Amino acid sequence: MALPTGKAGLTARTPAATGGAGNTALRAEALGARLPPLLVAADRVAATVAQGVHGRRRVGPGEAFWQFRRFGEGDAPQRIDWRQSARAQHLYVRESEWTAAQSVWLWHDQSPSMNWRSDAVETTKLERATVLTLALGSLLVRGGERVAGLGSGQPPAGGRTGYNRLAAGLLDGGSETPPDGLPPRQHLPRHAQIVLVGDFLSPLAELDGLVKAYVAAGVRGHLLQILDPAEIDLPFRGRTRFLGLEGEPAFLTGRAEDLRPAYAERLARRQDALANLARTAGWTFAIHRTDRRPETALMALFGALSGRVV
Amino acid sequence: MLTLGPLLFANPWLLLGLGLLPGLYWLIRITPPSARRIPFPAIRLLMQLPRVKEAPAHTPWWLLLLRVLLAALVIVALARPVLDPAAPLAGAGPLVIALDDGWTAAPSWEATRAEALGLVEQAERDGRSVAIATSAAASGPGAPAPAQLLRGPDARALIQALEPKPWAGERARMAAALAGLAAGGADVHWLSDGLGEGASDKDFAARLVGLGSVTLNVPNTTLVAMALLPPRTEPGAMIVLVARADTSLAEDVEVIASQQGRALASATVHFDAGAARAEARVELPPEIRNGIDRVSLSGQTSAGGVFLMDERWRRRPVGLVSGDAAEAAQPLLSDIYYLNRALAPFSDVRVGKISDLLARPLALMAVADIGQIVGPDREALMRWLDEGGVLVRFAGPRLAAQSDDLVPVPLREGDRALGGALTWEQPQPLADFPEGSPFTGLTVPPEVTVGRQVLAEPTPGLAARTWARLRDGTPLVTAERRGKGWLVLVHTSANAEWSNFALSGLYVDVLRRLVELSAGISAGDGDVPLPPWSLLDGWGRLGNPGPTALPLQPASLGSLQPGPEHPPGFYGDATARRALNIGRADTRLAPLGPIDGVRRQSGSEAKGERDLMPLLLAAALGLVLLDTLLGLFLRGLVGRERDVVVPALVLATALSLGLLLPSTSHAQTRDSLTRDTLTRDTGPTSAEAGSAAVLDAVLGIHLAYVVTGDGLVDETSRAGLNGLGGILRTRTAVDARAPLGVDPERDDLSLYPLIYWPMTASQKPLSAEALARIDGYMKAGGTILFDTRDAESSFDQTGGGGGTGTRILRALLGQLDLPPLVPVPAEHVLTRSFYLLKSFPGRSAGGTVWVEAAAAGANDGVSSIVIGGNDWAAAWAADDGGRPLAPLEGDDPKQREYAYRFGVNLVMYALTGNYKADQVHVPALLERLGQ
Repeated sequence: MALPTGKAGLTARTPAATGGAGNTALRAEALGARLPPLLVAADRVAATVAQGVHGRRRVGPGEAFWQFRRFGEGDAPQRIDWRQSARAQHLYVRESEWTAAQSVWLWHDQSPSMNWRSDAVETTKLERATVLTLALGSLLVRGGERVAGLGSGQPPAGGRTGYNRLAAGLLDGGSETPPDGLPPRQHLPRHAQIVLVGDFLSPLAELDGLVKAYVAAGVRGHLLQILDPAEIDLPFRGRTRFLGLEGEPAFLTGRAEDLRPAYAERLARRQDALANLARTAGWTFAIHRTDRRPETALMALFGALSGRVV
Repeated sequence: MLTLGPLLFANPWLLLGLGLLPGLYWLIRITPPSARRIPFPAIRLLMQLPRVKEAPAHTPWWLLLLRVLLAALVIVALARPVLDPAAPLAGAGPLVIALDDGWTAAPSWEATRAEALGLVEQAERDGRSVAIATSAAASGPGAPAPAQLLRGPDARALIQALEPKPWAGERARMAAALAGLAAGGADVHWLSDGLGEGASDKDFAARLVGLGSVTLNVPNTTLVAMALLPPRTEPGAMIVLVARADTSLAEDVEVIASQQGRALASATVHFDAGAARAEARVELPPEIRNGIDRVSLSGQTSAGGVFLMDERWRRRPVGLVSGDAAEAAQPLLSDIYYLNRALAPFSDVRVGKISDLLARPLALMAVADIGQIVGPDREALMRWLDEGGVLVRFAGPRLAAQSDDLVPVPLREGDRALGGALTWEQPQPLADFPEGSPFTGLTVPPEVTVGRQVLAEPTPGLAARTWARLRDGTPLVTAERRGKGWLVLVHTSANAEWSNFALSGLYVDVLRRLVELSAGISAGDGDVPLPPWSLLDGWGRLGNPGPTALPLQPASLGSLQPGPEHPPGFYGDATARRALNIGRADTRLAPLGPIDGVRRQSGSEAKGERDLMPLLLAAALGLVLLDTLLGLFLRGLVGRERDVVVPALVLATALSLGLLLPSTSHAQTRDSLTRDTLTRDTGPTSAEAGSAAVLDAVLGIHLAYVVTGDGLVDETSRAGLNGLGGILRTRTAVDARAPLGVDPERDDLSLYPLIYWPMTASQKPLSAEALARIDGYMKAGGTILFDTRDAESSFDQTGGGGGTGTRILRALLGQLDLPPLVPVPAEHVLTRSFYLLKSFPGRSAGGTVWVEAAAAGANDGVSSIVIGGNDWAAAWAADDGGRPLAPLEGDDPKQREYAYRFGVNLVMYALTGNYKADQVHVPALLERLGQ
């Protein structure tokens, strides 16, 4: 799905506009360029066969030195480390540590409810989510990790190829996202990591089930809730008929301003529930408002993924 | 109908609708405003909120009030309230409307017709019959049809079909038409055009009073008709004359001259208070002026506000030929001086030789005292006569001595002198003009006498060819048809030598008739009736002739009053059309004076009834807009954003005001058009201040410089002339005062002997007045020093070269009439008028200085123009202590001294002229003195 970049009103934006895809990818890269390459903190590296930066404390393909061992039969003569061998009488073979790359599956919500912004802000939630996801993907790729779109069906890949594939999938693959705003279930290798970006306004039970399923599969995850300021503050006044963007029935109120406290309380409860869900699963949870700068959200994700405070 | 004080409701039953208002109140109360629709992604959260029991949205009480008021306004408006309904009709009999519908009624026609329709409506309301009489004849002469008693709709149809007629009305006709009505009881309304017919007005009013109570309606003064009178033509201009009735106030009227609908020129005619006529000049080149076929008042549309012009108003080219060579020296004795003066006002006069004159189209040629026309001139003249030219010859000593055969009658040799020292006979006055002469109708002033004349040989045809004769029967003007043209001989001189004919007004009239003759307009073709071609309607628009229009006898054009049979307009055909106009030289317009026994009201008072419906509806619309705005506000659509609220409020106010204004503007525009606002007050004259400045300039020698508008240049000029003035005071007898800046567009230049004119890039082309002023200044002996300030001026015949200033100056001088210029010759007076100079340096030294080539003769040999590019003012410029202000360009340490010397020489040259020119001859004189 191509992202519209023009100014939209209160109504949901149609996904028909084109021309912004490359722009969004560029902006995401520019955003990511300001952070160092992201090396995902890995308790245990996913059992992928790809080379990466996470040492597996085993001999294997990699750059870092692991041990010297005696030249044995079956070893290729080319592997003899002549410098080391010259010090002693035996021939030694230099062995390096087997390093593997961490794989991160990224997903962001592309449901119609994301494609909305209030008059007070310039970007829709979807735009912001795309930018953040791509920026994160860019950072990961530069850190040597491998990324893939969750639900894209493609294997994770590193390098420029991985990023491009991710970008293409994120910008074009909107139709594969179920309209309920939930990430797809996909079989992932253990110790993989996933990043879920969305507004998480759909019923909590469904998300709960999904998260539990991934946790059971040994997948670590990070939730980033993106909200429009209007969704947080409910700035409307007067007699108002609220219309759903995903087929929900309309909601009529006499005085929208009177709803504000109850709504704020309800939203806080929802966010508490989300945070709780993440905590019990050992995941992280963060909230991002579209009227804030995207860098802050990116920093938070960076911190969560790299396991250090940025 | 329901009347409440000053209010009248036309549809009072609609007021019952006011009873619905409480119901409306209830309805509005329980109907909440429609909700604003907002798409909202977090709607699921909203739906999980506890539902508060929503009371019906309470509309604020003031909004309720607003809406109820709105509904009440609409209901009241639909009931058609009328404020100040017109006074009821008087009496019990019929309504009688006497309507002036001559051309004079056209400007006020709309108001008059509206008034008449209002009256008819009132009569219809009361169920009374209506009688209508109009003043202008609809068709032909004859008694007017008696006024019928009509029912309302018929009367309305009749009035709506009425239009002002393009001829004058006669109130006697109305009186006759109304004669059949029963006396007494009627309510008579006389809707007049505001103009009086004289004494008959009172009679007519008396007749009306006999019918019942009379109300006289007079239009507002601005709507009283004015008339355009026959314009006069003068050299280079046409003088339009306008007559008006109300002379109480000053007024400006615009007059437009047009050709076939295209406006060519306009002029403003200014009436002083108390003046019944005024005139204005329309200045146009003759070719364009000859094309004018219509002059009209721009403010008024009426047949009298239009003057159609035909061939008679064209200025024709007239040539003058004199046998006397030196007419320039003594103009009052010249043969053609009087001819020129008499013909110039209405024709384009050219003076020259016969062959030159005939080279261009010519209508009439006046030949003063030439005995023999011979050779090619004679052949050309004969041909021209055959083609329709008019040759008018005047007698004189040379013709008397020897005449050729280009005369209408054979002449005796010699002339006859009456009233001389050696005769008993008295100079002969003129006899009345004979029938068939083109001069018929001109009055002969008794004081015109002829002292000398040439005499015709008595021949059989002499009487037929005589157009004017003296009282003793001798012919004064004889004429003969030659081909299509005329050969006319005036048997006395064209100047005042032989008679005082040339000094009389008759001379002008006779010449005018002769010029008219030259266009083929003569009594000869006067028998053919001219069919109506394109006639004016009452509004002054040309259109096809109506059925009543009859052909016109050309001879009667001068005396005919336009009427139904001969409406004003063009008669004849496209090639030769004659105009019949309402306005005549003697047309007078008089206001309708006060009349006893008649209630008089003017147009503005009569417009009393005011329908309040539009006003109320507009107010209701304004409230609707306000309500919409408030609704938006309540629903939070335009909550905090002032930039939406304020324009919307302004728009709502403007809209409702715009709707309100038209209904009230009738009265206002009338009021604002009253004449006192049209008067112009002339500001206090600045004559005293001006004369003081002139005195100051005259009582001393002031060098002057032209203010260019460039501050630096002007300051340099002033300082330069100041410095030069200091030098002059110390070294010469010239007591130069402070230099003065002049502007050729405004100031009188003739007060200054020398004007310094630096060229700047901002120099604008001069206006015609300024050019004339400069030309006059130079011709009267002034000297202008043009300084191009570019050190290289070139003004030879090739017209090339030179710097920026030179090009600007060349463009400027191109507008002036200049003699050829030459570089200052070695022996020129400018080189020796005070100092002996070889060069004329200023700030720069190299430039050539140019003067007029042949300045001898006029202006004491002083060149009226000196041109150079050396930027002298900068060299002369000194501060008050005498220190120079500007550095010089050259190396010569004495350059500034030489610049001063040039200035001194120039001032001396301008002041003393060729006084020092004698020095040129000093060597020769010394030699002759015997050394």
